[in-house]
Parts: sequence; structure tokens; C-alpha cells
Amino acid sequence: MIESGDGKGSKPSSYERIVLKNASEYYYLKIHLEFEEVGISLNAFEFKQLIISALKQLHGEVGAALPVDVLSYEEKNLFAILRVPITGLVKLWSALTLLDTYQNRKCAFRVIQTSPFLLALAGNSRELVLD
Amino acid sequence: MVRFKNRYFLCEIISEDLHFQQSIDEWAVHNTVKNVVARMHGDFGLACCSIAFSVKYLNAYTGIVLLRCRKDFHRLLWSSLPFITHLESRNERYRCSFNTLHVGATMRTCQKFLIHHNRNQLLVLLRNCTSEADRQAIQKSVQSCKFVGEEQYNSEDEESKDEESDDSMK
Repeated sequence: MIESGDGKGSKPSSYERIVLKNASEYYYLKIHLEFEEVGISLNAFEFKQLIISALKQLHGEVGAALPVDVLSYEEKNLFAILRVPITGLVKLWSALTLLDTYQNRKCAFRVIQTSPFLLALAGNSRELVLD
Repeated sequence: MVRFKNRYFLCEIISEDLHFQQSIDEWAVHNTVKNVVARMHGDFGLACCSIAFSVKYLNAYTGIVLLRCRKDFHRLLWSSLPFITHLESRNERYRCSFNTLHVGATMRTCQKFLIHHNRNQLLVLLRNCTSEADRQAIQKSVQSCKFVGEEQYNSEDEESKDEESDDSMK
């Protein structure tokens, strides 16, 4: 699975090369919930409930049983990071895309970044300001 | 040559309800299966399974039903069938369950399997029967079923061939 270092000699090398040969187990998504109106807030439970109801609508009970985790959620600006097994990524993404209302108010999920590595979501190259 | 590939599900409906036989029809089975697919796999699954989905054959007396759907999505239908708990027909609910006997690519293979299966069931009955009269009756039907079955099989074989060519024309 992980091939590390070039094992010449016994002294520790200064850098380590890591090669992942299989696809990683989980995928991470950074998402943003947008409302047409302003001033709507929902807590983490309602947020997770919304995602599960979207999955249930599009993919039924099988979809609702997907192990989706909300790793972080910011209530102020409705940003969240989700973790999902790689086999359920397409299901989750399609369900998020097709969600359109929350309590009869129009809303939309924007998927900002996706990555198999959580650390990759720390920075966004699209937000870099170049001189 | 290119054609649409289908999968045929040969299922038996198991029910202990006495009025079950008189009240089921193809439309009831059709609705029940579609509802359960919608419940298990949502809008997406329902849309996938609805392509070319149909109830090809229903025998209310033996409870045998033959369902057709596209090959690409047959696993969606397959995984939903065990979750059927009742059939709804004429505003009444009948408790039942579906037992998938065979999944075939053509109606002909399903028919072959069904004849084979029914013949085996007769032998099981013969082994388990208690009274002498029963035993003789079953032995008789085993013998007759071979002869009639073969004949019937040949004639129906041609029919199913015709149907297949019809399907491939579509």
C-alpha cells in the first residue's frame, strides 16, 4: 500500500517519498449552502438532516444509509466539510446538486473543493491573489 | 448487431392470505414493485428501473411472476425485491413476500428453469407425502408432467422465440 523511502543504508534520510497505489478510502468535500433570502440559519443537526433528506429523496433508503460525516460546520457562513466513502461520492454529490428547497425556501449547495486528502482543503488555489 | 439487453426475474409470491389468489393482477404487482424500488433507491432508482419495466407473466394460482427490466439496472430491482412485505390491490393489503427463483437473460431460459423447478418440486412432494393415495396421485402427475411438459415445451418454445425476435426488433 505505502512504499516509503529508498532504503539505502541505515541512516534516516532527510526526505521520504510516499506513493499511494490504491485509491484512498474516503473523499472530502468542502461545501457551501446558499439561500436566496438572507438571514436563514440552521444548526448542525438541521444541516445533517438536510443532507440526509436530499440523499433519501434521490437515492432512497440505500442512499440515506450512506455513512456521510460532517467533519466541520460553520453556522455563521454555512460552510461545511463532509467525509464520504469513495463509493458513495457520486451519490452524495448528485443528491447535493439536486436539492433545491429547505422548508419551502430556495437554496443550493455549492461544492467548492473535493479531495481524497483532508489537508488539501486547507488552502484553495483559486482564492490566491497573484501580484 | 445491437440490441437492448434485458434481465428477467422469475419470482414466486409467497402469501398465507386466503383471498390473495383471486385479487392479484398484473397491475397490482407492477405498482407494488415500483413503489418498493422508489422506497429503496429513490427517484434515481425508480427512473432507472422504469425503463422497459414490465410484468411479463403472472400466474395467480401458482404465484409465479416474471418481471422484466434493463440489464444495466437489474441490480437495483434485484436488491429491492426482498423488501416487499405486502401487495396492494383494490384498496386492500395482502401480506406477502417475493422469492426470486431465477434471473435470466431471456424468457426462454426462465421458462426452462421454471419447468425444471416445478418438476423438482413434485419430487420433493413425493418424498414428503404420507398417505398412499397421495403418493399415487403425485407419481401419476410426475409421469404425465414429463410427457405433457415436453410437448408443451416445444410448442411454447416457438412462441418465446417469436417474442424474442419481436423484442430484438424494437
